[in-house]
Amino acid sequence: MRKIFLVVPILLVAVGIAWAQGGMKKKKPLPFEFGSVTINNYSQQAGVPPVVFDHWVHRQYYTCRLCHVDIGFGMTAGSTKVRSVDNMKGYFCGTCHNGKMEHGKKVFASCASEYTREEYNIRCVKCHTLERSAAKENEFFRFSQKMPNERFGNGINWEIAEEKGLIKPIDYLEGVSSKKANLKVTPDFAIKSKVEGMPDIIFSHKKHTVWNGCALCHPDIFMGVKKGTSKYTMVELFEGKYCGVCHDKVAFPQTDCQRCHTKPAQG
Amino acid sequence: MKIIMNSKGRMKLLILAGCFSLFTILQAAYGEDVWRTDFDAACAQSDEAMALSVPELKKAIEQCDRVQKKIEAQEETVRKVYLKRLQMCRNLFVFVLETRMQEQKPK
Repeated sequence: MRKIFLVVPILLVAVGIAWAQGGMKKKKPLPFEFGSVTINNYSQQAGVPPVVFDHWVHRQYYTCRLCHVDIGFGMTAGSTKVRSVDNMKGYFCGTCHNGKMEHGKKVFASCASEYTREEYNIRCVKCHTLERSAAKENEFFRFSQKMPNERFGNGINWEIAEEKGLIKPIDYLEGVSSKKANLKVTPDFAIKSKVEGMPDIIFSHKKHTVWNGCALCHPDIFMGVKKGTSKYTMVELFEGKYCGVCHDKVAFPQTDCQRCHTKPAQG
Repeated sequence: MKIIMNSKGRMKLLILAGCFSLFTILQAAYGEDVWRTDFDAACAQSDEAMALSVPELKKAIEQCDRVQKKIEAQEETVRKVYLKRLQMCRNLFVFVLETRMQEQKPK
């Protein structure tokens, strides 16, 4: 009986430490939340809720490169430090959210120096809101119904969606993008797996450059260009380095092993 | 001192002022076009960086450095957007160039 009085407090302390160190399992985002980024550089100081940016809404229309290279958005939440005045001048969100661009319907203007309460409730809260929106969830559900399925992430296989012509992401914006020569695609290559029995990775430059170009990944994310010069570990990847910059956050999660480890085992 | 000017003189002064204003406006507009054209020319090669030769890469880097100075003279938001974009292009050219140099080194 005395042992119980000793064991229970020890167990409680151990659980407490594990909890404090974030040892509990991270909450898995719901499909419509996957890829959502909260941006709060200046919003709360200005008296409005932070911006919740949904990648799924935008990636159906635009390539990653268009926003992260041509428009200039950073690769981590809040790194760009977008101000409302930048948007109003027609940069960052304001590049498209200017009240003039059309995508079937007119794209709403992003920011204004003056607005009425009515405008705030209709326009501002489209981005500046932390509350869960049933309308947004329904919109995602309706959209995802038409898309090819995927096991993880937001449940949409974007690669197949593009192959089938269900989405046609734009890679060029007049007045914003630079006219480029045809993209030179570097051949695919294999990255040897470190775990026995695990198929090697076939890295497809083609799949990645179509959406990202070259400058988005090299040299900021991937320093080594010569095969075998850089060693990557899954721990680093899960920490958000290398492939983990996009995969897990916006692109399909790295827990979907078969998406990358595709080289058939040699018998 | 009293300056006396007849209507002809006033007209000349008015034309001169008009020309000066036009020159200032055109210079500002044309100046903006120039840096943007130079920027586009420098960054247009980024998607084919792997196919560029060493002299071409060096030229592209120099081009980026020249444009950088012009962008630094622009207003804050333009600087924020285009200096970052330019840096990405330049970094890529430097990265490919360094790789090429390493490859050319005798083993």
